[in-house]
Amino acid sequence: MSVLATAQREFIEALYSQRPCEPGVEVYRRNMLANLGGALAATFPVVERLVGEAFFREAARAFVLAHPSRSGDLNEYGESFADFLEAYPHARSLTYLADVARLEWACHESYQAADAAPFDLASLASVPADGYGRIRFALHPAVRLVRSAHAIESIWSANQPTRDGTPDRDTGPDSVVVCREDGVVRVSAVAPDEWDFLRAISKDATLEEASAAMDETFAAKFLAGGLARLVRDGVIAGFSVAAA
Amino acid sequence: MAPASPLQSSAGIGLRAPHYAEILERRPGLSLLEVHSENFFAAGGPSLAWLERFRALYPLSFHGVGLSLGSSETVDAVHLAKLSALVRRFEPALVSEHVCWSSASGRHSNDLLPLPYTEEALDGFVAHVDAVQERLGRRILVENVSSYMRFAHSTIPEWQFLGEVACRAGCGILLDVNNIWVNSRNHGFDPAEFLAAIDPQAVGEIHLAGFESQGALLIDTHSRPVTGDVWTLYRAAIERLGPRPTIIEWDADIPALDVLLAEAARADAILGVEAAA
Repeated sequence: MSVLATAQREFIEALYSQRPCEPGVEVYRRNMLANLGGALAATFPVVERLVGEAFFREAARAFVLAHPSRSGDLNEYGESFADFLEAYPHARSLTYLADVARLEWACHESYQAADAAPFDLASLASVPADGYGRIRFALHPAVRLVRSAHAIESIWSANQPTRDGTPDRDTGPDSVVVCREDGVVRVSAVAPDEWDFLRAISKDATLEEASAAMDETFAAKFLAGGLARLVRDGVIAGFSVAAA
Repeated sequence: MAPASPLQSSAGIGLRAPHYAEILERRPGLSLLEVHSENFFAAGGPSLAWLERFRALYPLSFHGVGLSLGSSETVDAVHLAKLSALVRRFEPALVSEHVCWSSASGRHSNDLLPLPYTEEALDGFVAHVDAVQERLGRRILVENVSSYMRFAHSTIPEWQFLGEVACRAGCGILLDVNNIWVNSRNHGFDPAEFLAAIDPQAVGEIHLAGFESQGALLIDTHSRPVTGDVWTLYRAAIERLGPRPTIIEWDADIPALDVLLAEAARADAILGVEAAA
């Protein structure tokens, strides 16, 4: 291996280790921990608020040392932070923390996801009535679906900057839809059946397949009104019709 | 997309999110708005929508912080493809990166790490600039960075390394005057010697920023006003190079927009003095 390659491997190794190093390298190690820790704090502000700044900084430091950044784009850093928190011994009593982190990562992805042209529900008029069941809706690229045994939507909402941190609800489970409306990421709790429907759609199910699991009364109500709302809110952003 | 307004040799600022709305509302006279390229690698969404609006009003400069041109490994093809798509879409007036490295064996520091100034590092760096310019289909600028340690096996002075890169790769130089000052203090050289070695023809842009002291070291934090020493060095640089588009960088403890605009006005006064002379 070349002199440069060896030196750079050793340098990166030193940055990500906890062994004592020379003062110059120590400056870069501090910078790196601050930069990557700062990126995590920017992506997971609710987690930081829930555990406090000092706890978060220590957790972030432990995460960084165990999970090196893999990209020159800092926005890609932190996907596995939720899994890390789930196994983090010091956070064991906060059973909901990892799922809140999953929700925040979903918001982070949603913010950066591709745009989609507005979709007009009236365009469905082109589909013959006997083809409705074969409609394959497409979710907007910025939609993310998160489900938790805990009241994560309530906890997330209560910890937005304008709120005092007191959740409206204490108990889950929560079925959460993340979407982007006019450039703003929105988080909402939906009925479990609706979440299952969207989940099926995200896996390319047809309308017939996606609504098959729904309770019959719910399905009737949903198809009459809920579907239009999902289009209006930009959750559903297009459709195709599967071959008969 | 409409052609951008021509680039003037006057002052601009690093564009940061807390100032977005105010800049669009007030539209201050600035030669250039500079963004970190990676902050706009998103597939879509509001960050790119903001950038479209700024692009309609100002020439843009895309300043990369993550390409790791000094790495002994090849340039990250995915990263370069994202940069290339961004450059094609927005047609910025300037595209720049740093004379540094950031990653090895798949691990990133997301920081501007110092290079040993050796023939081996120079060959590799020039090859990577070539590859990037080839991919982007345009000339880029490379910036001298602040550093906090030196390698005993360096054989070339930093300023000569920078000049050689520009000469051999046919790229331009983004001369960071604050980084010259910081390094002159950290490593004990005369900043005038650095300046004197720079080919004026190669310099396409200048950076100014503030630093902080950490013990005996000066750290390039971009968190403070430009210091008096750096303004003096900037004046000397403009006298030697002639006026150049100059960016005020401020990335931490970001102040009110007016503070940045006042710094930009101070740079403009120096650029104006020179232009009128």
